[in-house]
Amino acid sequence: MGNDRYRVTRRQFGVGVFGAGVVATSLAGVAPSRAQGSPKRGGTLVATWGGGEPQACYVPAGGGSSPTFSSSKLFERLGSRTMDGKFQGELAESWKPSADFKSYTIKIRKGVKFHDGKDMTTDDVVYSIGEIWKKYSAASALTDFSGVEAPDADTVVMTFSKPIPEFFFSSLLCGNVNYIVPKHVYAGSDPVTNPANNAPIGTGPWKFKEWVRGSHFEYVKNDAYWRKDMPYMDRLIIRYVRDPAGRAAAMEAGDIHIGVFNPVAPPDIKRLTGTGKFVATPKGYEESVWSTTLECNMRNPVFAKREVRQAMFHAVDRSFIAKTVYYGYARPGTSPIYSPNKEFFTSDTYKTGFDPKKAAALLDAAGFPKKADGKRFAVNLLAAGWFTENGKIGAYVKQALEDAGIAVNLSVPDRPTSIKRIYTDYDFDMAISNQANPSEPVPSTTQYFTTDGIKKGVPFRNANGYSNPEVDALVEKIKVETDSAKRKELVFQFEKIITVEAPLLPLVELESITVASTKVQNHSNDPNYLAASWYDIWLAS
Amino acid sequence: MHRLEFIGRFARNRGALIGAVLILVVALMALLAPLFFPVDPLRIVGQPELWPGEDPDFPLGTDSLGRDMLSMIVHGARATLLIGLFASAVATLIGVGVGATAGYFGGWIDEIAMRAAELFQTIPNLIFVLTIVVILGSTLTNIVIAIGIVSWTPIARMTRAEFLSLRDREFVQACRAMGMGDLKIIVAEILPNALPPVIVLSSLVVAGAILFESAVSFLGLGDPNVASWGRLVGDGRLLIRSSWYICAIPGVAIMITVLCLNLIGDGLNDALNPKLRDR
Repeated sequence: MGNDRYRVTRRQFGVGVFGAGVVATSLAGVAPSRAQGSPKRGGTLVATWGGGEPQACYVPAGGGSSPTFSSSKLFERLGSRTMDGKFQGELAESWKPSADFKSYTIKIRKGVKFHDGKDMTTDDVVYSIGEIWKKYSAASALTDFSGVEAPDADTVVMTFSKPIPEFFFSSLLCGNVNYIVPKHVYAGSDPVTNPANNAPIGTGPWKFKEWVRGSHFEYVKNDAYWRKDMPYMDRLIIRYVRDPAGRAAAMEAGDIHIGVFNPVAPPDIKRLTGTGKFVATPKGYEESVWSTTLECNMRNPVFAKREVRQAMFHAVDRSFIAKTVYYGYARPGTSPIYSPNKEFFTSDTYKTGFDPKKAAALLDAAGFPKKADGKRFAVNLLAAGWFTENGKIGAYVKQALEDAGIAVNLSVPDRPTSIKRIYTDYDFDMAISNQANPSEPVPSTTQYFTTDGIKKGVPFRNANGYSNPEVDALVEKIKVETDSAKRKELVFQFEKIITVEAPLLPLVELESITVASTKVQNHSNDPNYLAASWYDIWLAS
Repeated sequence: MHRLEFIGRFARNRGALIGAVLILVVALMALLAPLFFPVDPLRIVGQPELWPGEDPDFPLGTDSLGRDMLSMIVHGARATLLIGLFASAVATLIGVGVGATAGYFGGWIDEIAMRAAELFQTIPNLIFVLTIVVILGSTLTNIVIAIGIVSWTPIARMTRAEFLSLRDREFVQACRAMGMGDLKIIVAEILPNALPPVIVLSSLVVAGAILFESAVSFLGLGDPNVASWGRLVGDGRLLIRSSWYICAIPGVAIMITVLCLNLIGDGLNDALNPKLRDR
C-alpha cells in the first residue's frame, strides 16, 4: 500500500485485520475522566485496542492503526492538538510561516534525549522530515515540498514551492506517525526494513522493553523524559486479544484497564458500563472520524447523470443504519467533511435524505422507468467485508434499492479481495467502504473526489472514477489559499458541489468508543487518543 | 419383495426411522417455504432483536437487523439441503469416477489417482474450501463445487477398494471372456455391486457438506444473497451475551439435520449390508 498523507493511517488498515471492528456511541453523561486528586505514581497499565497485533512496532509509512497505536507511545511528533482544536508544541516549541507562506520556521525543543541517551538535535529533525516524512509518512501531503534545513542549533526551516496554508502545515506537524526518529539509527539504512522498527528508539514517555509476539508489547517508563516527572506509571503493556468477546472478558476480569477504538461489541458496552466499573466515551476520535460510505462507479453509464446517483442516496434510510446496524453509535452523514470537524464542516449542503418517492421520480426523469418486470436496471453492490457491519449495511441497501426498482446482486468479499475489487479492479457498480479523516481536508478527503486521486491499485482513494474539472480547480485553490476565512469558504463550496454531484457520500459517521476501567485517569484527552503518547495516564487504586 | 425387505431392514433401526421422518419434515419445509413465507426472507420486516414469543408475528423473533427468524430458518432449509445434496452429488461423481478407474485398471493409473487423492487429503478440508471460495467468489454454485472438491477422496478410496475386490471375480472374468468392453464392465457389472457402501458414504457427505457450508457462512464467506443457517449463526455470534437465540435456533436446526443424516446413514448401512448387521 502506498503511503498516504499524514493521519491517514487508520484508513490503510495495515496487515493486522481489524477484528470485528465495531463502532460506538455517545453515551450521555460519560465524560473522559479527569485527574481526581493527586496522581498516583507507579504501577502497570494494560491497554488494548479493537484490532489485532501490528506487522511491526513502527511502520514508517503508517501501516494502519495498529502500528500507529504501538509506535506513538515511543516516538513523538513536533506538535499535537488539544481537545478544543488548538495546536500545541511537542518536540517543537513553536512554528511560524514567512510572509509569503512558502516557508515555515520551527523552533525545536531543547534538552530532549533519545532512549539510547543521545541528544535529539536539528539533524534528527531535518533527517526525519526529508527522509521519512517526504518519502513515507506524509508523501501525498508533501507534494509541494522543496527542502528542509537547519540554520542554527534550535531552528529548522521547511520550504515549499507554493504557498502553504497555516492550518495545513500545523496539521502536518501533528500528523500520525510524522515522528522525529533518530538519524544515527536510521541514516544509511532502508527505513522500511530497519530492525529498529521492532525495537524503536524514540523520545517518548515510554521505552521499548520487549515484544512477545502473539501476546503483548512491554514498555517501561522513560526516566529521562523531557516533561519533568512524567510519566506517572512504571510500565505500559499493550496486549492483543483477537476477539471482541475475549476483550470484554479480559476487561471484566481486570486484566486489561483500557481499550481504545471499539474494543468490545456494542451490546457489551452497555453491559460493561452497567456494572459501574467501566466508562465508555466517544471522545478522543475527533481528529480521526470514521465513516461508512456508499459510492457509484462512474464507469457504469447508468450513473452518468447525477440525478441517478442522488436517487441512490434518497432510496436509503441512513438513520435506520445508524440506529440498527450501529446500535445508535453513529449518525447520518450529510457532507464529505464530517460534522465533528469544527474548522470546515457546514450544514449548508445539498441533502440526499431518505425519500423513496423522490428517488423514484429522479430515476423516472433520468430515463430509467420501471420495466415490465418492475426493475429499472441491475447493479452489483460490493460491501467491503473488513467490518461485519458493512455486510449488514449491504443487506439493507440491497433491500432499499430493490424497493426503488433496482435489481441488486450483493457480494461481501474478505478484506484483501474487497481492496482489490474496489481499488484495483474497479469491479463494482456500487460499493460500501470506510474512510477516516482528520480536520484538514487536503488531501485525505479531497483525494476521493479529484482526478489525481484516481490511482489504480492505491487503496482508499478515488475508486469510482469521478472526474470534474470544477472540483479539481477548487481543490487546487484550497491547497494554496492562505487566508483562513477564504479557505473555509472554498471548502464549503467543495462540500456543496460534492453533495449535489453525489459520486461518493458518507452513509453514516461512526462514533468510535474507548472503554476504560473507572480506575484509569487522564485518558481520552487528545483528539486522536489512539495516536497520543499517553504520558499523563495513571491508575487510581 | 426385495424393496419391502430393504425398507423393513431400514425401519428396524429406530434411529434411522426418526432421522428419515425429520429430514422429510425439513425437506417439506424447504419445498413449501415460498408458500408460507412469500416475502424475501432477507427483508427487514420488524424491530431488531425481538425475542422468540415477544411478538406473535415473529414466533422465533427477529435477528439484529429485524429480519424474521422463522422465515430465514424455513428458507434456510432450502439452501442448506440443496447445498448438501448437490455437494454430495459432485463429490460422489468425482469420487466414483476416480475410484472406479483406479481400482479397475490398477497399475500406474491407480498410482497417480491415489497419490492425487492423498494430496487432497493432506490439505485441511475447511481451509481448502475457504481458499476455493475466496478465489472463485462467494456464490452458492462455487460453494457447492468447493465442498465437492474436498469431499470426494473417501468415496474414491472406498470405490477403489470395492473395485479391487470385484474386478477379478468369476462373473467379471466371464464378461471379459465374452468380449465385453471395459466401460461396460465398470458401469453395468461392477458398479451396481460396489454401490451400496458408496451410497452410505454419500449420505454422510451430505451431512459433512452442510457443516462445511455452515462454517463458510459463519466466517462471513457465504453467499450474502441467500438465507443460510450458518450465516445466521455467524451474524448472531457478536450478540451471544445478549441475544443468544439468534445463534441457538439455527444452531439447533443444523445439529438436528446433521444428526438425522447420520442416523439415515446408519440405517442405509443396515439395510444395504444385512449380513454385517446380523453378525
